[in-house]
Amino acid sequence: MTTTLEPPAPTPAPEASRQRARKRPRRRTQLSAHGEPFVWISGGALVLALAMVVGLFALVLGFGLGTFWPGPLEQITLEDGTSVLGELQREETVRLDGEEVDRRLIRVGNRDLTGVSFRWIDNADVAKVERPDWALVVERLSWGRFYGTPVSYQVQGEVVTEDPAEVWSAFLAEQGPARERLAEIRTLEEHEIGRVNARLERARLATRGAELRFGEDSDEARRAKMQELRIQEEGEASFAELGAKIAALRAKNAEQKVVFRTSDGVDVPMEVASIVRAYPANRLSFTGKVGVYLARWWEFLSADPRESNMEGGVFPAILGTVSMTLLMSILVVPFGVLAALYLREYAKQGIVVSTIRIVVNNLAGVPSIVFGVFGLGFFCYVVGGSIDRAFFPEALPDPTFGKRGLIWAALTLALLTLPVVIVATEEALAAVPSSMREGSLACGATKWQTIRRIVLPRAAPGIMTGMVLAIARGAGEVAPLMLVGAVKLAPSLPVDLTAPFVHPSRSFMHLGFHIFDLGFQSPDSEAAKPMIYTTTLLLIVIILALNSIAFWVRGRLRRKLQGVHV
Amino acid sequence: MRRSGNGTGRRKRRLETTKRVRLAERLATGLITAGGFGAVIAITLICAFLLAVALPLFRRAQASEPNEAPVAERAPRRVFPDEYGVLVAVLGQDWNLRVLAVESGQVLEEIEPFAGLSRPTAFSASVDGRSLAFGFEDGSVRTARIGFESSFPIADEVPAELVDVAGGRVVEFGNAIWQRTPEGKLRREALDFELGEPLQLDSASPVQRLSHLDDDGDQTFVVWTRDAGPLFVQAESTMNLFTGESETSLEERVLPYDRESDSAPPAQVLLTGTGREVLIVHGDGRAERIDARDPANATVAEVVDLTPEEGERLTSTTFLVGRSTLITGSDRGVIRAWFDAPREDGATPDGKALVEAHTMRGPNTPVVHLAASPRSRLIVATFGDGTVQAYHVTSESRLLELDATDIGSPFGARILPKEDHVLAFGSAGLKSWEVDFRSPEASFSSFFRPVWYETYPGPQHVWQSEGASDAFETKLGFVPLVYGTIKATFYSMLFGTPLALLAALFTSEFLDRRLRAPIKSSIEMMASLPSVVLGFLAGLVIAPFAQTALPAILAAIVTVPLALLLGAHLWQFLPTERRSAWSGWQRVVAMAAALPVGVLAAAWVGPGLERLFFAGSIELWLGGKGAHSIGAWGLLLLPVSVLLVTLVGGRGYAAFLARRGESWTRGRTARVDLLKLGVGLVATLGVAFGVGGLLEVSGFDPRGSLLDTYDPHNALLVGFVMGFAIIPIIYTLAEDALSSVPEHLRLASLGAGATPWQTAVRVVLPTATSGLFSAVMIGLGRAVGETMIVLMATGNTPIMEINPFSGFRTLSANIAVELPEAVQGSTHYRALFLAALVLFAMTFVLNTCAETVRIRFRKRSSRL
Repeated sequence: MTTTLEPPAPTPAPEASRQRARKRPRRRTQLSAHGEPFVWISGGALVLALAMVVGLFALVLGFGLGTFWPGPLEQITLEDGTSVLGELQREETVRLDGEEVDRRLIRVGNRDLTGVSFRWIDNADVAKVERPDWALVVERLSWGRFYGTPVSYQVQGEVVTEDPAEVWSAFLAEQGPARERLAEIRTLEEHEIGRVNARLERARLATRGAELRFGEDSDEARRAKMQELRIQEEGEASFAELGAKIAALRAKNAEQKVVFRTSDGVDVPMEVASIVRAYPANRLSFTGKVGVYLARWWEFLSADPRESNMEGGVFPAILGTVSMTLLMSILVVPFGVLAALYLREYAKQGIVVSTIRIVVNNLAGVPSIVFGVFGLGFFCYVVGGSIDRAFFPEALPDPTFGKRGLIWAALTLALLTLPVVIVATEEALAAVPSSMREGSLACGATKWQTIRRIVLPRAAPGIMTGMVLAIARGAGEVAPLMLVGAVKLAPSLPVDLTAPFVHPSRSFMHLGFHIFDLGFQSPDSEAAKPMIYTTTLLLIVIILALNSIAFWVRGRLRRKLQGVHV
Repeated sequence: MRRSGNGTGRRKRRLETTKRVRLAERLATGLITAGGFGAVIAITLICAFLLAVALPLFRRAQASEPNEAPVAERAPRRVFPDEYGVLVAVLGQDWNLRVLAVESGQVLEEIEPFAGLSRPTAFSASVDGRSLAFGFEDGSVRTARIGFESSFPIADEVPAELVDVAGGRVVEFGNAIWQRTPEGKLRREALDFELGEPLQLDSASPVQRLSHLDDDGDQTFVVWTRDAGPLFVQAESTMNLFTGESETSLEERVLPYDRESDSAPPAQVLLTGTGREVLIVHGDGRAERIDARDPANATVAEVVDLTPEEGERLTSTTFLVGRSTLITGSDRGVIRAWFDAPREDGATPDGKALVEAHTMRGPNTPVVHLAASPRSRLIVATFGDGTVQAYHVTSESRLLELDATDIGSPFGARILPKEDHVLAFGSAGLKSWEVDFRSPEASFSSFFRPVWYETYPGPQHVWQSEGASDAFETKLGFVPLVYGTIKATFYSMLFGTPLALLAALFTSEFLDRRLRAPIKSSIEMMASLPSVVLGFLAGLVIAPFAQTALPAILAAIVTVPLALLLGAHLWQFLPTERRSAWSGWQRVVAMAAALPVGVLAAAWVGPGLERLFFAGSIELWLGGKGAHSIGAWGLLLLPVSVLLVTLVGGRGYAAFLARRGESWTRGRTARVDLLKLGVGLVATLGVAFGVGGLLEVSGFDPRGSLLDTYDPHNALLVGFVMGFAIIPIIYTLAEDALSSVPEHLRLASLGAGATPWQTAVRVVLPTATSGLFSAVMIGLGRAVGETMIVLMATGNTPIMEINPFSGFRTLSANIAVELPEAVQGSTHYRALFLAALVLFAMTFVLNTCAETVRIRFRKRSSRL
């Protein structure tokens, strides 16, 4: 490396300048030698990169936190006399045919009546903007938001009151019980009927299994068939009973109705039970707004999605992400730690081990989609298919494990994050001074005792870091999940309260996939935007929190170890 | 080792390890070794599995040992095999249908469809052989349906004689055939033939040639009658509401033809798949293509010679599935595929031309018979010497050569509907093979070389893997996907690499030590961002914004560096003491201030430039509006011009400074430097726009080649957003490489009088080169395989355009889009695995390269 050790090239010094130099003994460095412009360009690159980070987080944070805040409800009268009631989404200046036009996007809701939920309005067309006192924002179970003013409250078809304030208080009084009835209906529909269905399905599979095992005409098959028929009869009876219960609750709910009037003057009767949340946007105090804001966040975090995922919550996606990630880390951490222990403590250091190390590092750079392809082909089809043929032949051709599912997604991501754990653990192991190992061995401890009592405790922070980093990577990875397990809408949760509680063969929802699906496969991406922003914020918060935990744990354990040991 | 005593009088303690410890030791060793090998196995498993799935693509087709049976059938008009290769119906010379068992060749049933009717004079069959049409002496036509009905009778209905039929055996019973399926059920199969009502043509002249198309009951015929020549007949069925009977009305139109020269009936009349084009093929190989889009005014679009070689004779024709491609065979054993390709020069009235797109050469004996598979683009050709060959038309590859020389003079061969059997018919018998064509459409050349697909003007690289029907031609050209991957990688590296490397250089060499850690970790935070978030922001937030702010963004590429340069030159005016005192965070703050200045300048200048150079809107200009392209040329040439001016001007300026600037004061040098910046800027712009103007004057327009229409989800957007993903990676690794350059080298350089800048450029950078290289390689690997960003930020259309304002589809996005829909084990599925393997190999090579360089660099720098 002779070139690097060259002294900085001095400017050639001809005779004349040497004479001058004698006059001025202190030769100054030339300005250009400082390379100020180049330094600025490289500094600019750093600043730009930082600005990108900050800007990105600000964008996500701003959009994510802002979307649930209840804005005012504006009645806009246009120049042509028609009027529009809605929430202002944003304003922008666009150039249409070379002319600059200011326009605003209004969320006008009432998709069931008009077919659209958003409308662009040229600012030039706006004649008057008002904020009607009793304009309500109504979030419904279906068809998205509704905007209108309350006209009357009806009980069993008879008008009780027509005063907006009284309608409002009547609605508030009845909403709780109505929603409870609705929840009861849902429990009946999902849990009770689901339980009966599951029993029927089990009986059918038992018959099929007996037929496969003992032959179609065997006594066992006949007995199973009889049993199935009996269960079918029972099922019919419980269906009828449940149906009656549900119908009664429905009828009770149908009694309570609020009639709203849209800005077009159309009266719309609405069952109280079908209203998730309503508020008079322009009468809301600050605390009221905070209440709506928090209620929306709570719904977002705890409720099921509805309206093709564009409304409601993301609870199944959170649960899916968490359970998949946990399962993944249960799989990857022991395996990764064992592999690292082998590489660092057991294997003979040589060309083979360094090749393996290169391959492991390499694996970290293999595109995640390739893991997804492998996972789908190997885990889902080959491994899952074999399990199905061996253990669940009665359900075929419907696959039980031979399809996308939680366990395969977790395995795929475990493979994906394996290098992260191995590399982190290896580093941690390497950082344990060999004098400690030697000391332990010299005291007569076996190799495993040394590892367990001396090496592993000191390497624990590094291993923990590796684990959390792997979890963070796994939680944010979407491309392989699209192939091996994540779905738009899972019919049932991968973890629930029916035995065996964890259902590894079920497909699941995932926050990252949820973002992709909402943004690029939903029928109305504008209406889905609030949901995407909040989901994005949630995902980023989870991942950053995991990363911070990793660094915090590492720092803490390091300090603790430094304090205790030499 | 135990010793009884050691001379000290003390008995040594027993030094034996307990069993438990030993067991634990052995267990741990075993487990850990297993874990270690498990990791290695897991890694090799990925590679091996991808290979195992992808490799069968290239396996050759296979045929089993044939089954032969004597048949007393002379020259059948057409054979109709069933789905399972068990039965075959034969339309004999006497127009009777006979059902034969393939295994034994015995006649099971004979149907006389025309008993009591006059015999047909012409006949035509669809590609799948399920729909037939017959023409008669009295000028009428009848359609017919033929098929095999298979059923699984329940146990009670099975005849007693058949209950004990073993699996796989075929038994003839009654007029049906019975077979036990692998699932253990008995399957009954029988011929189902139904002759339609006669449709009387007005001309009432004998039908000599016939072709028909049955599109869900809408029937179209082309009929050659003895007296009226070619007729185009459309049959329309209407239901009579009162009687409930359906009535069929015919609409006949005479097609144009030259009565003088075509006094004899042609060899064939053919109706193509659209039902709007007719081919009249003559015995000498001449074919008239008649455009019948408007049947009332049909015209002869062109006359094509289907036997281009001298003295060649046409011996056989068939349509491929979809009836858009005509396959012809000649007496020299040449098989040609013809279809309509667009023709731009206007030589044909309908703007199309029948072209010979594929040529396959068999043995030099006449092609006796051609038959197409009803579900793909496979054909089997029977040659005069008795060989039967299977070809895939799109890839022109010969898949199988079967020997049917021992069944007398060959009549023909067919592929069964499931493509698992080939059945050959000769004068002395029939022969059937169980075949497995595997993936006929896949081959190295169909993946990586241009292929001429149906309706395309010429051979092209196309990826289009799924179509609505069997007639769809699968297009598996990887090149557009590889192109898209390279394009995405190129633009993201173009944006990300300089930014990341410069930022790393600044961080390690010029940044205040206290700022280093927080700044580094905040850029690393960017790496933890899930790419789905970046993709969503790119697609739904940045893309619409960039569309509205396009001129400002393009201007910012110039103004932001310019603002930084200006800031640096102004900074030079500071007195030396101040400058060295403020070289810490103060300078960073000043730089950060230059950034918004540049952005604001861009926002201010952009729209003006747009009005000046792009007729008011870049988007419309790219779409073709507006005349001159000086602005675009100027922008495109700017990087070259910057390089040129810096190299030439910079050297000259350095020489000038060395000569004259020696005695100048700091302030004067700074002033001259600032002047230099201005002059340089003017010179750069002058060169770029001057050359641009020259190009414009000489008639070059970048639109249509270098630039094209604007798509908001374009390569520049992907480049920018992917920057978020690769900058932190390159930055971290590059910074590590730079800071691992030993401190004593820096100190020595500084001590010898070099400035920090000189030290950075001449000492640190050269030492760290290999580390930087490996950082870039790893960034490259990430960019190649990134999926979610490209999936969400581009339109995912597999096009090959150099235009930075258009989208593309990458290998990874293609897998993500198509694999969930691909059928396991299909060619498409395997092709996607091959794509994954290509990605795997690309990144593996990149990463291994980077890793080896990095390890060598680490070793060397530790020795320094």
